[in-house]
Amino acid sequence: MSQKRLYELIYIVSPDATEQAIAELHTQVDAIVTRLNGELVKTENWGRRRLAYRIGKHREGTYVLEVFNGTGELTKELDRRLKVTDSVIRHLLVRVDEDLKTAERDRARRQAEIDARVAKGLPPLGQGRRRMHDDAGDDDDNDRAEV
Amino acid sequence: MAEERGSRHSSGPKGRGGSRGAEKGGPRRSMFRRRKVCKFCTDKIDFIDYKDVKMLQPFIPERAKIIPRRISGVCAMHQRKLQTAIKRARLLAMLPYVTD
Repeated sequence: MSQKRLYELIYIVSPDATEQAIAELHTQVDAIVTRLNGELVKTENWGRRRLAYRIGKHREGTYVLEVFNGTGELTKELDRRLKVTDSVIRHLLVRVDEDLKTAERDRARRQAEIDARVAKGLPPLGQGRRRMHDDAGDDDDNDRAEV
Repeated sequence: MAEERGSRHSSGPKGRGGSRGAEKGGPRRSMFRRRKVCKFCTDKIDFIDYKDVKMLQPFIPERAKIIPRRISGVCAMHQRKLQTAIKRARLLAMLPYVTD
């Protein structure tokens, strides 16, 4: 029993595919996800976009984004299926929960810092934090004030 | 130490070397250096999203090469995240690998 994680899947459908084919593909993905005890969180169709370079003979493609919960087995199955689907010219499946967690943690930490400063009656933007980044900089006022 | 420095200066272009000497000791590049600060630290962006092409684009000028952080001033952590984001975006043809 492996753990559930949040994944993000983007696939590019060939520009020759009809609206209907794209919808069908989406239901297929949905079916695989639900069959393997996953759960679809979000779907976005970005529509037809120009590719930055040619993939095969294509210069355009329809982008579809799917966000879902699931296990490692599920991603394996999805990956395999997308690889053999001819109308999908490229796909990328990445795990995002870890990144979102760290982002959230950083945000929380910064908020806590601001709260602590406000509690002390200081302006929310700290000097200490700024100096960390531009210590050898050209803001002489700062250095002079310290002496 | 002082001798060594002197000799290095004299090897440079004559006119500039002379004027430099008057300033005494200041490293040459300090003149133009502007302190570069990591864009992602100052803008407080925690998560560099590969789907956000607009954010990544400034980091791949003309030839579509990722600019080194010694030039962009991005901190090590964010450069690392930026790198994976750009590479993912490239795979999805949202950014080019090369342009000519």
